[in-house]
Amino acid sequence: MQRIGTGLLLVACALLSACAEAPSDAIRMGVASAPITLDPRYATDATSARLNRLLYAQLVDFDASARPVAALAQWQQLAPTRYRFRLDPARASFHDGSALTAADVKATYDSVRDPTNDSPHRSSLEMIERIVVIDEHTVDFELSRPDPLFPGYLVIGVLPRKGIEAGHPFDRRPWGSGAFELAAWPVEGLLRLERRADGQLFEFLHVSDSTVRVLKLLRGELDLVQNDLPPELVRYLERQPHIDVRHREGGNFSYVGFNLEDPILADLRVRRAIAHAIDRRVIAWHLLGGETRLAAGLLPPEHWAGVDFDAYRYDPARARSLLAEAGYGAGSPLRLNYRTTSDPLRLRIATVIQRQLHDVGIQVELSSFDWATFYADIKAGRFQLYSLSWVGIKSPDIFRYVFHSTSVPPAGANRGRFQDALVDGLIEAAETAQEPARRARLYQELQKRLLETLPFVPLWYEGQFVAARTDIHGYELSADGDYDSLAQVQRRPAGVREARFAP
Amino acid sequence: MIQFLVSRLLSALVVVFGVVCLVFLLLHLVPGDPVDMMLGESARPADRAALREALGLDRPLLVQLGEYLGGLAQLDLGTSFHSRRPITDMLLERLPATIELAVAGLLVAVLIAFPLGALAAVRKDTPWDQGAMTFSLIGVSVPNFWLGPVLILVFSLWLGWFPVSGRDGIVSLILPAITLGTALAAVLSRMVRSTLLEVLSEDYIRTARAKGLSERQVVIHHGLRNALLPVITLLGLQLGTLLGGAVITETVFSWPGVGKLTVDAILRRDYPVVQASVLLISVTYVVVNVLTDLVYAWVDPRIREARA
Repeated sequence: MQRIGTGLLLVACALLSACAEAPSDAIRMGVASAPITLDPRYATDATSARLNRLLYAQLVDFDASARPVAALAQWQQLAPTRYRFRLDPARASFHDGSALTAADVKATYDSVRDPTNDSPHRSSLEMIERIVVIDEHTVDFELSRPDPLFPGYLVIGVLPRKGIEAGHPFDRRPWGSGAFELAAWPVEGLLRLERRADGQLFEFLHVSDSTVRVLKLLRGELDLVQNDLPPELVRYLERQPHIDVRHREGGNFSYVGFNLEDPILADLRVRRAIAHAIDRRVIAWHLLGGETRLAAGLLPPEHWAGVDFDAYRYDPARARSLLAEAGYGAGSPLRLNYRTTSDPLRLRIATVIQRQLHDVGIQVELSSFDWATFYADIKAGRFQLYSLSWVGIKSPDIFRYVFHSTSVPPAGANRGRFQDALVDGLIEAAETAQEPARRARLYQELQKRLLETLPFVPLWYEGQFVAARTDIHGYELSADGDYDSLAQVQRRPAGVREARFAP
Repeated sequence: MIQFLVSRLLSALVVVFGVVCLVFLLLHLVPGDPVDMMLGESARPADRAALREALGLDRPLLVQLGEYLGGLAQLDLGTSFHSRRPITDMLLERLPATIELAVAGLLVAVLIAFPLGALAAVRKDTPWDQGAMTFSLIGVSVPNFWLGPVLILVFSLWLGWFPVSGRDGIVSLILPAITLGTALAAVLSRMVRSTLLEVLSEDYIRTARAKGLSERQVVIHHGLRNALLPVITLLGLQLGTLLGGAVITETVFSWPGVGKLTVDAILRRDYPVVQASVLLISVTYVVVNVLTDLVYAWVDPRIREARA
């Protein structure tokens, strides 16, 4: 026994000496998922993409109405298939002090287009035929076909040519010209960035459990938490004295999708009955809260091609009458299966929808799966109803991908197997329209047609929120949840009292 | 003894080989596509096809299995689909955290269970016994996903003694270790009590008492030592489980261990990482079981002599 006791004591001592890491004075942000890669040529997850925006400058960005705007470069369309980009003379240098030039832009995009590099963004740039460096500050993109949306595709962070040629491991040691540079990435769940302007350190901590994220924020182990919290925790945080919670409208679109190959759901009256039976306002208010807005189409009203129609209002009487017209009633109830993910909030929303549909006589069986299984089923068309969201959509080329009759998986994301010649025609016409106003009008007509034919029920655009310690100021929420305003965030010195948050 | 060890190791190799093949095949049968998980919803078909080819997922399953086993034979665990990092690096990065937590959890369990179980056995049918067994019942009933946040609330938020989560110095290890160790302590204390009760009714214990030894000497030197064998077996198995990953505790406390890595890899369908993690877990089980047998021999001279 004594020997065992001594052994255990030695182990305890070893543990004591093994764990040691000094805390830093960084501003700490809690994230629900860890970044996977800091190489913008390969990043596809949201956290990596948001962090890469801090580390790398990109040629083009988007304004509040999702129109492409100059970031690193102004552009000019020389011909339908030729764009010239002129780099901003006041642009920042790379983190090693070397200048960012047109050759770096060419090397970055050539690298993405190189099939041997297996970049997941390669085919979104397949219309580029050639990239020509005109001088140190100017680069031309020549296209194989006209694409009026082209500048909006150039959002990949620019890497230094010499790093690309040397096979630099950008994924772990990012080397860009953004406002931040890597300080350390000691373990997967902890990333430290340094702000170039003043050397302020920022830590991004992966805390997957939402309750623990909130507790860490309350205890001051985190300074900022953005989104990914259930509404009851957000309301709890709003009541805490040292925490400020701010909301703003967002553009991430949620919907209920239909399988139109299913004989029941092929009937437009049934789909309309379901749309009228869902009380979206109640769900948005009680389960999502904040600035969640009801949706009429995939693009929000502020988008240059967005819509602000009066979509299907909650009307259970109308829903019952449509169902009766379709031949369903007390004697022959309608039974449907509804698939969703195992995410607790999504399940809760699905449960409320199940109850609301039950109230008009639709018996809904819920099936929830982990994301991978759920998504495989949806792609394969193994569903009747499902709910999902489109996140961070900027370019209206999404309509071809989601609704064109040629986009049934695996060719695209037309999971409901929707076929409508008028919708196909509107998508094709909008894509080739050179004049922006006409293009916007065609996309709006398209969304009106989608509401009439109802391949999905538009639900809402989820609001964004940030919860921060009261000594943190300068953080501005963006509509798509990026972290760009960390460039201005400051920690107020102890003892200084100011109005909560920056205006 | 050596012959025993060699035969155990050979059978262990067969078990590990079986586990590797089975996990490989089962993973590919589970619905869900790693390419979808990597590229997201809006990826284009050409990019999906290119990535599938780059990852080798377009080849026949048996060819993929053969290549994987070939890599394993050269101690190459492969590269993560998602992070494109060598899996050996990822596991080595996380293994120290897992070992720390597992050993600390076990330490907490032993420190609670041995005195509690012994007390319950020595003071059988008294309030001490009932109190210890009530603790045991509560400990085994309370799930870690509840106990963890409650401990955080009390000791981190209200009392401010420990950090909420993360691996940042020894203090950050205490709450996860208590969370992990409590349920194990509950099971262990019941076992210590029942085996000790059995041992204390043996003739040699009566003899020891008749020789005039103090009750303390009887319980510790003659009772507990003989009651240890089944407890060691349980400890060995539990250590294997803990090293395999205390997923819930790791998630609650943002502990960067192997368990969390495995679960994340399963959810992302990162096949090579799942396979490597399962391999690590199965090897750990085998090693711990062999070590448990060795400890048996060390603790009980009868076993040592029988094997000799």
